[in-house]
Amino acid sequence: MALVRKIIPQSTVDGPGNRTAVFLQGCNIRCAYCHNPETQAIHDAEAREMSVEEVMAEVRKGIPFIRGITVSGGECMLQAAFLTELFAAVRGLSVETGHPLTCLIDSNGTIPFAHHPELMAYCDGVMLDVKAWDADVYHRLTLSPDNEVVKENLRWLLQHDKLTEVRIVCLPQQAVVTTDVADNLRHIADVFAEAGKRVPVRLLRFRPYGVVGELADTPSTSDTEMSDYASLAQSLGLF
Amino acid sequence: MADIYSIVTSQQLSYEQKVVALAHAAEDTLSVLPMPERTKYYFEKGVICNLNEGNAPYRPRYIMPDYAKAVRQGVKFLQLDPPQNFDELLTFLQVLYRHVPSITTYPVFLGDLDALIEPFITDLSDEEVKRKLRLFLIYLDRTITDSFCHANLGPQATRAGRLIMEVDRELEQAVPNLTLKYDPAITPDDFAEQAIYTSLCVANPAICNDVLNRNTYDRYGISSCYNILPIAGGSYTLTRLVLPKLAALTDDKEHFLKQLLPEAMRCMADYMSARIRFIVEESGFFESHFLATEGLVERDRFVAMFGLVGLAEAANHFANGKKYGTDAEADAVAEQIMETITAFVNEYECPYCEIANHRLLLHAQVGIDTDYGITSGIRIPVGDEPESIYDHLRHSSRFHRFIPTGCSDILPFDITGKQNPAAVLDIIKGAFSLGQKYIAFYASDSDLVRITGYLVKRSEIDKWNSGQAVLQNTTQLGAPTYASAHLANRKVRGV
Ligand code: SF4
Repeated sequence: MALVRKIIPQSTVDGPGNRTAVFLQGCNIRCAYCHNPETQAIHDAEAREMSVEEVMAEVRKGIPFIRGITVSGGECMLQAAFLTELFAAVRGLSVETGHPLTCLIDSNGTIPFAHHPELMAYCDGVMLDVKAWDADVYHRLTLSPDNEVVKENLRWLLQHDKLTEVRIVCLPQQAVVTTDVADNLRHIADVFAEAGKRVPVRLLRFRPYGVVGELADTPSTSDTEMSDYASLAQSLGLF
Repeated sequence: MADIYSIVTSQQLSYEQKVVALAHAAEDTLSVLPMPERTKYYFEKGVICNLNEGNAPYRPRYIMPDYAKAVRQGVKFLQLDPPQNFDELLTFLQVLYRHVPSITTYPVFLGDLDALIEPFITDLSDEEVKRKLRLFLIYLDRTITDSFCHANLGPQATRAGRLIMEVDRELEQAVPNLTLKYDPAITPDDFAEQAIYTSLCVANPAICNDVLNRNTYDRYGISSCYNILPIAGGSYTLTRLVLPKLAALTDDKEHFLKQLLPEAMRCMADYMSARIRFIVEESGFFESHFLATEGLVERDRFVAMFGLVGLAEAANHFANGKKYGTDAEADAVAEQIMETITAFVNEYECPYCEIANHRLLLHAQVGIDTDYGITSGIRIPVGDEPESIYDHLRHSSRFHRFIPTGCSDILPFDITGKQNPAAVLDIIKGAFSLGQKYIAFYASDSDLVRITGYLVKRSEIDKWNSGQAVLQNTTQLGAPTYASAHLANRKVRGV
């Protein structure tokens, strides 16, 4: 069983192609910019206990229109055992119907993927949030002690060809809580260079919709800032 | 005569629109087609509708010239030699299009535009090609002032196709409509994705299931409002059966299926046969028109389209308050109606339709401006769409299989689709694999909207509604339809 916040039968923003997106309830960090703060609590009256079979009934409805599923959160790796079962069932459905389906994870990277070999055998890729490189900045943003595990995950996933994309939410420089996107991009480029591999890096614009707390009234990141980051990413070969 | 006076003095019709309306009025002073009592009755009840085709047809309704052949052999009547370079080709086509008749007096089919152009652009840069294409397309939009005009692309990816789509995105025009013939085994994903992206920008091209449509005849093209017709041929006529008007005559389903429907279909089929005979035997079209005498169309490649409209409302009429599209009982009634109609057309023999084995071919007619409470062809009424787009498309697939000469769905997509055309392509691939034949879509924020098949600009509708003259004939049709069919309320699909 897993605690499911919601299932979106057709999503274009959770990985390549059209996917069914499953959002699990509960997160282990508290990002200042989180636009789904209602998914943070480990228990919530609006989330629903669902079995693998129940989730699969929803996935089945998407065939033949979807390319696969993406599990997101909250932080879905908090329910890794469920993910393993779910992905195994998706694999089974793929064989049964002859319609190829991929399984992606959207994660904040705070739980080591290396500890879940069975899950990773079923998982086609991870979309990893690398929120900030500097540990202090990361702590200020997420209230999590540090981001060593995120960095390890970045290297491990890259090495094992399980990294689909890296995501960075770009906050306005003027915001009360912000990150150093340029620094982050440079370090990610270094990791790619070391590994001799690269994946797309997606820059997401901060928007205040749904955000609560310190950043609730912060305006969206400007076009100028976004295009500066995009040019830097391009010059580092990150697209 | 009051009618003619109002045409002559109208300030809302452009000069060209007046000329066409006057020709129509003149044609309608004749009565050369037999009109038996029962046929007349069904006409008066609005059950049979000839879509203003006129009382004395002097050309087939839809003509699909073999443009590739014209380009190879030239056109003697127009004193056009085969074009030798890109400029000559574009002028050649402009002149030829100008002389292709149809029900609208404008050409409804412009050919496989990418394939026609591709061999002529090998030595030209993208910029040069686009500069010339831009002028060509502007010319078409401003002179073919009627959106029932269609050019085709694909299924092969071509440089010409890409450039046409690029220019189309810049120009945001209602004419020509474009359709991409799509076969996942032939059309590369990136080409199809470019088409989808273009469609989410300018509501063009629509996507046609090439796999399911290409065996309808040996060679097909898409014209007008998604008509699937033979190239080098076309359709003599399109008459339609307005199913809800027929259903309104009885509350007894068996009476409807066993008596009224067969009788009305026979009246309509006989009427269509009379139209076909008049065109072939009396109008002189095939003896005298250069398209026929120079072999650019062939008489035995014409079909006749037996149109249907309002399947949804007719099914609902007999379904005890259940709704077509979301309820099994209403869908089952609809299926019974379709089977009855199919059985009739399979058995009825009509004249001069060799390429269709002498049969009338079913067509899901998209509706006209004066239809109130009548949904296009076999579509689900606006407002009754299933919650899930997947269920919607499964439903279409189930009913599209009955219709060989064109049926389609139109879906407005949320603009986020623009950032991920691959996702929209996944949905199309799924739908096509289930039997969906044709899909058109537009972004919910686009100025260009699809009415029932053709495109108009919301901004032009506003102009027309405020009493100003507009260039496009179809704006006049679109303005009332956009309002009466509640198209603004179509379910937006948030991919
Ligand atoms: S990791 Fe995601 S869900 Fe968790 S707090 Fe951060 S933004 Fe919100």
